[in-house]
Amino acid sequence: MAIEKKEEEKISILLEDLASLESYSRDLFVFLPLPVCLVSSIGIILEANPSFEKISGYKIDECIGTAIENIFEETEIERLAKETFKEGFIRSRETNIFTKDKRKVPVSISTVLRKSAEGEVIGYFIGLFDLTEIKFKENQLKQAQTALLNMLEDTEELRNRAEEEKNKTLAIITNFTDGLLVFDKEGKLSLINPQAEFFLDIKSEEVIGNPILKLSTFPTIEPIVRIVGKEMEEVFRKEVQIGKNWVLEVSTIPITIKEGGLGILIILHDVTREKTVERLKTEFVSLAAHQLRTPLAAIKWTLRMLLDGDLGQISKEQKEFLDKTYVSNERMINLINDLLDVARIEEGRYIYKQSLVDLGPIVQFVINSYKEEIERKKINFIFLKPKEKLPRIMVDVEKIRLALNNLFDNAIKYTPPEGKVIISLRSAKKAIEFSIKDTGVGIPKDQQERVFTKFFRAANVMRLETEGSGLGLFIVKNIIEAHQGRAWFKSEEGKGTTFYFTLPAKEEFSEFLKEF
Amino acid sequence: MAIELTKDIAKKLIEIKGEVRGAVFEIDREYVLKEKGKEGLKKVEEELEKIGYPIKYREIKTFNYYPVGLRILSLLAIKSVFNFDDEKIKEMGSFGTKISIIVKFFIKYVFSPKKAFDAQTSRLWREHWTVGDLIPVELNEEKKYAILRLQNFSLHPIYCTYLKGYFPGPFQLMIKNSKMTCEETKCVFRGDEYHEYLIKWQ
Repeated sequence: MAIEKKEEEKISILLEDLASLESYSRDLFVFLPLPVCLVSSIGIILEANPSFEKISGYKIDECIGTAIENIFEETEIERLAKETFKEGFIRSRETNIFTKDKRKVPVSISTVLRKSAEGEVIGYFIGLFDLTEIKFKENQLKQAQTALLNMLEDTEELRNRAEEEKNKTLAIITNFTDGLLVFDKEGKLSLINPQAEFFLDIKSEEVIGNPILKLSTFPTIEPIVRIVGKEMEEVFRKEVQIGKNWVLEVSTIPITIKEGGLGILIILHDVTREKTVERLKTEFVSLAAHQLRTPLAAIKWTLRMLLDGDLGQISKEQKEFLDKTYVSNERMINLINDLLDVARIEEGRYIYKQSLVDLGPIVQFVINSYKEEIERKKINFIFLKPKEKLPRIMVDVEKIRLALNNLFDNAIKYTPPEGKVIISLRSAKKAIEFSIKDTGVGIPKDQQERVFTKFFRAANVMRLETEGSGLGLFIVKNIIEAHQGRAWFKSEEGKGTTFYFTLPAKEEFSEFLKEF
Repeated sequence: MAIELTKDIAKKLIEIKGEVRGAVFEIDREYVLKEKGKEGLKKVEEELEKIGYPIKYREIKTFNYYPVGLRILSLLAIKSVFNFDDEKIKEMGSFGTKISIIVKFFIKYVFSPKKAFDAQTSRLWREHWTVGDLIPVELNEEKKYAILRLQNFSLHPIYCTYLKGYFPGPFQLMIKNSKMTCEETKCVFRGDEYHEYLIKWQ
């Protein structure tokens, strides 16, 4: 009995151990996070864990007993099984499984052969790793990569286009007939075209990268630097003589884009030929005028003598003819004088005798010379003198008087009898401003921009008065500008015109001394 | 229609001699949990308690032996509580083959259906039951059928139905065929000397 009891105890212990072992292996299998199944040698699923249920979508009783090719692609699993039987295992191969709801799930598959104790092949284990998330990420990466590649392609295309545009621009710059100098934001020369190299007799490699101040050491660039200044101020068509060969017009243009300034462009426009032609013309006019003035002066004095009776008595009728001839000769002399003035202006040798003076007496002098005419035409003439003492100015008195004469001449000539002329003289900002306002015919609006050009005569004026060379205002403007002043006007046809000019005021004696 | 599970019927079943492994109750437990959840299992346990033979399914030990009558009572209680028809009972049998740990012991023989059929059929039965003998009569792989005979086993007709679902299970693990049928050609409850099952596949 005792032996039987002992045996029963042993059996009981063995059963408990068996139950524990069963529970242990079941837990191991059930809680394994990776999908695992056991496949028989003929391809039937014999066992599967809950993770396999989850990934395949089949319940455990649906999995077990089913053919493995119901879950995998048939030829693929056959190939993998064959390899497993041959090699004993396969490691981490990418494939797909097909879930119960026909979804395709990417997985990494590993297998290992299972043999019985006798060495017979029972089947093989399959372990899966769900690649869905990885593939999704991979896909996202691929999409991002594709997007990046597309962006790169776009960028490349844009770069090529920009390159093409750059080449075009460079070709334009290179072949441009004007000289171009491009300064960057830092004020350093970044580009010079061949034409500019030619004008300035320099090579780009000598000057590129240098700031303008350093460039001023080149004798051909120095005159340009003098015009634009070290800050490269905006200038427009300022003439400069480069060496003996070139007369160039210098203009500066800021290069700007939406984001701001990129630098400064200096344009050198060749006006050498025009200047030569102009000079030759001026020389011809000057020569012709000189040649004409001598016989005209002789005619004048002969006529004067005839009119004064120095050469004998003349009849009344003869006097009338001679008077008209004298006036015409005078007009001719005036025209010749105007032409000579213009020639001198254009030759740049017009202002040569400057002195520090008050403008008031000069104006008064000119007024006095027109008194008779003013009275004759009964013009209401007003001179608005300054209340305070005006600063003195450094001028060529004779030329300023000529400019005033021309302005007075026009105002009185084109103001009808009993009209009004107002002269004003006042102190402006560091300058003296002169103005002469008339109630004359005015200047038609469409012709106003040509007022200061040579030989200009307004259409309405020409209908009234056939006399006049059309050089007076051209001379005025040039005289004023030669004194660093400014001349301008306001006019309304039928109502009148006001001409203005300013002349820079000089400081007192110390400033005056600086001029010497 | 629900069958009446009375205390008398239960008493008679419990009095039948013989024992069965706890693994079979695990099949019932897992199936009810799968189909009806925890509440369903609770109802079955209440039903069994009502007739005086409670089963605590979670406390069942897989390899321990329990009265054969209790096995039938478990099936009858499930059928009664959920009003299961024969198809459902057969489905339980089929489910049983797939999750039974004892069946899994025989998996290593599936590479040879003939070997498994001849050598393991009787043993598979004996692993579960102390009563009855399962005899492998014939396996014809060419004609695609097998005949199993169960003798000295007379518990309750519900188990005949259950076995019609259960017996194709092992064959499904050995023979690659999804459509397998099982017919009880002889039955002690129909006056035969033994039970005989014809399993066929396509």
